[in-house]
Amino acid sequence: MTEHGEIKKLLPHRHPVLLVDRVLEIEPGERIVTVKAVTGSEPCFAGIPDDAPADAYDFPASLLVESFGQSGALLWLHTMAEAGGVPPGVLIFAQARDCVIDGAARPGDVLRHEVRISSLKPTNVFLTGETWVGDRRIASMGSAMAVIRESDSLSPAPASDDTAAPAAATPMGEPA
Amino acid sequence: MSSQSYAAPLRAVDEVVVDPDGTSAAARKRVTRTDPYLAGHYPDFTIYPGVFMLESVVQTARELVAVRHGGARATLVGIRSLRFTAPLLDGDEMSVALTLSADLVAKATCTRGDGKKAATMTLEFRVD
Repeated sequence: MTEHGEIKKLLPHRHPVLLVDRVLEIEPGERIVTVKAVTGSEPCFAGIPDDAPADAYDFPASLLVESFGQSGALLWLHTMAEAGGVPPGVLIFAQARDCVIDGAARPGDVLRHEVRISSLKPTNVFLTGETWVGDRRIASMGSAMAVIRESDSLSPAPASDDTAAPAAATPMGEPA
Repeated sequence: MSSQSYAAPLRAVDEVVVDPDGTSAAARKRVTRTDPYLAGHYPDFTIYPGVFMLESVVQTARELVAVRHGGARATLVGIRSLRFTAPLLDGDEMSVALTLSADLVAKATCTRGDGKKAATMTLEFRVD
């Protein structure tokens, strides 16, 4: 699993919110190294005025955290797949602690996420790691936790005029 | 609203009201499947990503800092804690309640329209 098409087999995220481009290294149950190229054509940079300062193009921290989290989800899903298992539900980003954002990435930079599993249970995982641009660390993620929830818990409340139940949610994992 | 003057995945707050004393702010956001990025999250089923609740809180804090610090811009430098407790789906209304201490630590709660707590977080900012 290294190329973009293979990532899409594991993650349900799609353009423009699929924020992992390629997997460089992966050790099931242990660690993953991924990259995400930041480009000026991404929607988050649309509409910035021509006279904006340089830091107006800092890649948003929310998307940086999402890209890190998707990398961790890939590691967990790949680990389950290697063990012959199927997630008993959908993966949800549940919590994070002690994350430091030291720097920023701008168009032209390539994010490199180094994510490690610090605790792995059947229905939850704790991740830790760093995000780099070249040899410059721009973020350190102390702890991020993802959990598996039953798909039903994410479905909208039944509406009276909605006879056909929507397809089960497939947030992270459970390739449709 | 200055959200278009710097990179942001979307306008993550529809309205922000900053308390006159500059220590708290409240914001609202209605989730719609036509919001930027949500076409991919997910193609068949819209869920407001948890990190977009983070983005909503960051944009709320920026509005508060701009008022309190004469137009200065706040930068997120740390996430002390972040917890997502309920999903926001297409059509859901979210409210953000935020307090910002003198040393720029924000505590925020995101609440869904039905009263259910959707997220809580404690964030650290820097003002340039």
